[in-house]
Amino acid sequence: MPTLETTTSVDSALGPLEGSELPDFTTAAYKDAYSRINAIVIEGEQEAHDNYMSLGTLLPDQAEELGRLARMELKHMKGFTACANNLGVTADMPFAQEFFSPLRNNFQAALKDGKVVTCLLIQALLIEAFAISAYHIYIPVADPFARKITEGVVKDEYTHLNYGQEWLKAHLEESRAELEQANRDNLPHVRRMLDRVAADAAVLHMEKEDLIEDFLIAYQDALTDIGFTPREIARMAAAALLG
Amino acid sequence: MFGLIGHSTSFESARNLARSLGFEEYADGDLDMWCSAPPQLVERISVTSPTGQCIEGAYIDSVFVPEMLSRFKTAKRKVLNAMELAQKNGIDITALGGFTSIIFEDFKLLREQQVRATTLDWQRFTTGNTHTAWVICRQVEANAPQLGIDLRRAKVAVVGATGDIGSAVCRWLSQRTGVQELLLVARRPQPLADLQQELGGGRILSLEDAMAEADVVVWVASLAQASSIDPGRLRRPCLMIDGGYPKNLDTKAAGEGIHVLKGGIVEFGSDIGWQMMEAAEMANPQRQMFACFAEAMLLEFEGLRTNFSWGRNNITLEKMDLIGAASLRHGFQALGLEHPAPVPSFSST
Repeated sequence: MPTLETTTSVDSALGPLEGSELPDFTTAAYKDAYSRINAIVIEGEQEAHDNYMSLGTLLPDQAEELGRLARMELKHMKGFTACANNLGVTADMPFAQEFFSPLRNNFQAALKDGKVVTCLLIQALLIEAFAISAYHIYIPVADPFARKITEGVVKDEYTHLNYGQEWLKAHLEESRAELEQANRDNLPHVRRMLDRVAADAAVLHMEKEDLIEDFLIAYQDALTDIGFTPREIARMAAAALLG
Repeated sequence: MFGLIGHSTSFESARNLARSLGFEEYADGDLDMWCSAPPQLVERISVTSPTGQCIEGAYIDSVFVPEMLSRFKTAKRKVLNAMELAQKNGIDITALGGFTSIIFEDFKLLREQQVRATTLDWQRFTTGNTHTAWVICRQVEANAPQLGIDLRRAKVAVVGATGDIGSAVCRWLSQRTGVQELLLVARRPQPLADLQQELGGGRILSLEDAMAEADVVVWVASLAQASSIDPGRLRRPCLMIDGGYPKNLDTKAAGEGIHVLKGGIVEFGSDIGWQMMEAAEMANPQRQMFACFAEAMLLEFEGLRTNFSWGRNNITLEKMDLIGAASLRHGFQALGLEHPAPVPSFSST
């Protein structure tokens, strides 16, 4: 059987696997990076709450369900606030608010114009996929307290991603053009957000390459379920890869 | 449904393939972009056996390229994500092609069963090595006589003898084919000694010494070692079965009387109507494919949706018989020499 031994030594190759060991949660460098990452998570949950409440005004017959999703996001926000307290870190909220501003501005503009499809793409697909991927990558390197909380949250977020998927699937033909435009307008923002957070994420042992691929897998899964073909999806997703 | 997980042979060919398939954005991306790109289900395939049975399958490109081998985490992620995609698509039996199974084994990915929300079900995957080993043995048996090599009097060197495919080939050649002598070549002494004991024979040699004595060479090791082949020291005629990956032994060992055959490749009896084997640079991409891919098809045809080839050194002669019979029944043929040299007159006397 061909073997990698001659191109990559197995011993050195196994190093990085063990290299996903936990970071030292007590260092100043860790806490400094955590203050921004944690703030992004808290702000993300707050934005998600506000966005689902706003979506309820565009989809009054779904307002009850959307209110339920919004309340889950607030619960998550409290959980992540507790994670910061547990480590003795103060979340850098002004940084996080500014971090989310491009997506927030686009969401608000779409909301004003009554564009349900764009609002759903931003919140229920992009932000949820972003959150799911970040939580997946975070869980193996989280402190035990945060790990437990994040594991609970990630299960909820799948149901939120699913909500957007189901609505868009049911309305695909009339939504297609707006979805593609909203993808072009917003996916590059997600890429820039991932780039901005990469250095801090690395301190937490979360790698940018992992984050991007995981995000795209979650996003592509959603687009597949909605009814796009693999080629359409690859083309749409390229906006995130090329930035 | 069967699945095939494959990848391009180089970053350059991957970009060309992306362009030809209409994925322009990917074609223009750099290696870093490809490292972050998720696997793609690029093609759906249906295959009809001479028995009339028709099966459906899918080809998944893991978006891995050999240039990523030095990036351990990337390579590992590509394989696991491609396997997850296969499972999420409900594929019952998927072959791990090219470097996929090598990365899986060497990086010990059995420890990584949980991929996000998916628990990988190992029963759904096969390395395809049983069929590959069987095909390589057929290639030895069918092509050596065409070159005037009488296997009962021949020395057959197996380079990479202690690997999964190599050890299976040794077992078959010693017990079924009855070659005069097996020359066992591998890097680590202890597994070699164990193999020799299990076979009850075979001579352990260095690569260089084995090359000088062998009438037939079965190459199932990494090509990195092939640079040490000195074609001037090879016997003539010499049949070389290139069962390594990627297959470029013909560039290392060429010359009058040296016949290099791509090992572990099968040809289906009719055109399949797919695009992906062009990426694998097959001579007849509509019909030829890696035997490991064909194993997933055979398991689907036979209703054996299980990890038929799994782990190392689990390939028995009985399993080779079973997959070999299925291979013949469903219209696959081991690749042979196109223009074998005329048999020297002394062999017919």
